[in-house]
Amino acid sequence: MRSLILAAMAVLVPSVALAADAPAAGGSLVGPYSVLVAGFAMAFAAGLCALGQGRAIASAVDAMARQPGAAARIQTAMIIGLALIESLAIYVLVVAMILLFVQPIK
Amino acid sequence: MEAIEHPPIFRLPGVPDHVTYTWIVMIILIGLSWAATRRASLVPRGAQNFVEVILEQFIQMIDDVIGVEGRRYLPFIATLGLFILVSNLMGLVPGLMSPTGNLMTNAACAIIVFFAYHYIGIKTQGLGHYLKHFMGPVPALAPLMIPIEIISHLARPLSLTLRLFGNMTGGHILLAIIFFLMGLQGLIGFALSGSLGGVIVGGIGGVVMIAFTVGFLYPLKILVSFLQAFIFVMLTMLYIASAVEGAEHDEPHGHAESHAAHH
Repeated sequence: MRSLILAAMAVLVPSVALAADAPAAGGSLVGPYSVLVAGFAMAFAAGLCALGQGRAIASAVDAMARQPGAAARIQTAMIIGLALIESLAIYVLVVAMILLFVQPIK
Repeated sequence: MEAIEHPPIFRLPGVPDHVTYTWIVMIILIGLSWAATRRASLVPRGAQNFVEVILEQFIQMIDDVIGVEGRRYLPFIATLGLFILVSNLMGLVPGLMSPTGNLMTNAACAIIVFFAYHYIGIKTQGLGHYLKHFMGPVPALAPLMIPIEIISHLARPLSLTLRLFGNMTGGHILLAIIFFLMGLQGLIGFALSGSLGGVIVGGIGGVVMIAFTVGFLYPLKILVSFLQAFIFVMLTMLYIASAVEGAEHDEPHGHAESHAAHH
């Protein structure tokens, strides 16, 4: 229980977690928060993207098993759909990379 | 990105890296096509055979998506596809970089696609006819449909760019982080520090890292390279098909068949 509270504090109050090497109390919290947000955003995006892609693949495989003759066309449509679903997670990846590497807001 | 990715070995001073490596891809592709067409014969051999097999795949895809009349766009589509494929694969060679790992190269490709399919649509249907597609099915809906259509058309090059960029750069960062975490330098340094334990730990760590990278990450990246090139080309063909499509609706579809039946 105590470790849970500590973990929650570390997430919610980055200045506590980073107190050891945080330069000053007046420093901006945007930097530490942006690192956390990048990681969590990518985690949520990857998980939800996997759910969506799983549904798409499940119904595509179902359709291919019912109609093996149309397998090639179904596969093409599935790959395009997967690319379009995946691009949403890729947007989050780009945002995370901007937060991590470019750091427009310090 | 420079923080974790090593710069490529070969750099020209004053030229950005992705431009240098775009030129290298161009040299590879021009050399390949020169070798293929140098002694073009009816019975293909060697390089000509290789290139013909690749182009037949493109023609097959174009026939499936756009139709036979889409074959006139083969040079455009196949050039884009081969350029992106070779660029993607070049990032897998240690010491080189892939030009598609940079936003500028992808944006250039996507903007070419954007203007090309509008040009093709206007050329095949005429300007007024093409613009009529933006108004939706019912004229009363036009004020609602026009902004939606404009935004969706503007989102196409953006999503093409970001998808390719994200996939390539994500893969590069993944490779870099795996190397960084399992620390070839650190492990070797640890191993060379003298103790037998260091040698054992460093050796096992190095073997695990190499096995994971060669056995899993590299095949995954090769798959992603082919898949992203395929998807870029496929979406380009879908956009061209949707731009050309209106022309087919106006002409009766059974025209060709009835013509054939008469003979």
